[in-house]
Amino acid sequence: MAVSLATGAVKTKREGALGYLLPALLLIAFFFIVPVLMLLMRSVLEPESGLQNYAALLGSTTYLRVFLNTFLVAGVVTVVSIVIGYPVAWLLAIMPERWSRIVLAIIILSMWTNLLARTYAWMVLLQRTGVVNKTLMGLGLIDQPLPLVNNLVGVTIGMTYIMLPFVILPLMGVIRSIDPAILRAAALCGAGRMQCFLRVLLPLSLPGIAAGALMVFVMSLGYFVTPALLGGTSNMMLAELVAQFVQSLVNWGMGGAAALVLLVVTLALYAVQIRYFNPARGK
Amino acid sequence: MLLDFDKLGGLRTSLVALVVLVCLFLILPIVFIAALSFGSSQWLIFPPPSWTFKWYQDLFADPRWLYSALTSLKIAAIVTVLSVVIGFLAALGLDRGRFAGRDFLRALFLTPMILPVVVLAVALYALFLKLGLAGTTLAFIIAHLLIALPFSIISIGNALEGFDRSIEDAAILCGASPWQARLRVTVPAVSHGIFGAAIFSFLASWDEVVLAIFMASPTLQTLPVKIWSTLRQDLTPVIAAASTLLIAFTILLMIVAALFRKGRKA
Repeated sequence: MAVSLATGAVKTKREGALGYLLPALLLIAFFFIVPVLMLLMRSVLEPESGLQNYAALLGSTTYLRVFLNTFLVAGVVTVVSIVIGYPVAWLLAIMPERWSRIVLAIIILSMWTNLLARTYAWMVLLQRTGVVNKTLMGLGLIDQPLPLVNNLVGVTIGMTYIMLPFVILPLMGVIRSIDPAILRAAALCGAGRMQCFLRVLLPLSLPGIAAGALMVFVMSLGYFVTPALLGGTSNMMLAELVAQFVQSLVNWGMGGAAALVLLVVTLALYAVQIRYFNPARGK
Repeated sequence: MLLDFDKLGGLRTSLVALVVLVCLFLILPIVFIAALSFGSSQWLIFPPPSWTFKWYQDLFADPRWLYSALTSLKIAAIVTVLSVVIGFLAALGLDRGRFAGRDFLRALFLTPMILPVVVLAVALYALFLKLGLAGTTLAFIIAHLLIALPFSIISIGNALEGFDRSIEDAAILCGASPWQARLRVTVPAVSHGIFGAAIFSFLASWDEVVLAIFMASPTLQTLPVKIWSTLRQDLTPVIAAASTLLIAFTILLMIVAALFRKGRKA
């Protein structure tokens, strides 16, 4: 009797499952799938049907420069974040907890601080009369203030600041999951420090590095706020281009085309991530 | 060896030095902004010639700042409630349902979080222009709900995974209706997931700027939009004051979250 009652309850729940999903499903369908598809339609329908928007986007040096800026900044930010983030994650994974807690609190504070507040800080720090230039001049390293804002240097510094936590936190998890006994074994077998690092630790953390790098690269490709504020008008990135087509130029056809390019690149990179770096699939 | 902190040898010094530098890199801009908000220099000269509360007075003297903060708070509160309720239902459906396409559906629900937000912003803006919703509070709520919902689904979904549902079945066997069992047994058991969902949903809306720029109208602005439009004109120290208040609020949220975690462990 009890058993049949229990299966009865379970059965009701099973049938209700789709009902539970309905509100979220409607929201996603009407306000995510439909508008994104409508935007993509406009890219091939406005001002007339055809692929002329894409031809214009890919055929002009102005826009190619935007693509170049975007990939260049995303690439540099990714490499710098990994090179700095990896050793930090490594030490964080093995340092005594009373210290790592402080470091983690700092990382999380910076991560949770409002994006505009952080970008504003860098706008002020990097300006001609800002602290960075003044310190460098005070140290006698430079005679003239360096142009650090309104160019891609500023964008790269500001974005690296934002992306660093996204590299450190997952990498810390990956390194923590490596069994120290493997490294002890390598050392016992006569491997030197360099060999231990290059042939044991680094290869074992490589999946984490690849996944983190890909995530930072994809996030950087579509970033809007920091490039718009630190980059100035002459060094646009792709997300800014999409916004500009729609906001200032009211050219929905070109805006839709630029959005599609961004969307396709992003989804393609995520597909790579799921195919090759998905932890659920790998192990 | 390389994974033993006490046996790193000379490498330890350089690694510790790097971590200290990175910590300074991460924390100094935040400290710097807080210091400048009390500095008297209009041109944000550091160290400031003298100290003042002038920028905070300016901030509170302009009703548009307060109004935009209240707008942000209202939108974020509504988004939080909707995101937790819809997210709880969706997470329950994904956890309990055994149907084809479940993994696809889960991925679909999380997509708005990973796509470039500017694409979503432009697409929604076009739709809301057609529907006559552009510049309304409802437009803000829908846009922010889309990016808050994934956080709820992940947070509550993780909590549900760790919950033994036979406890819920036991309540039903003892005579509770399915919804009674869910509200009085399951919900309290996954409360930490719900709490996480609420905090992340709130922050997702409160801090969000790209969607907000496209949803805003001259009369309806959230705080990030107000900061954004001010920043595009000049670097006034009033923004340093506003940022400092936001940072203080963030620290408060972190402390609440930490206390909550501690309370759960005890």
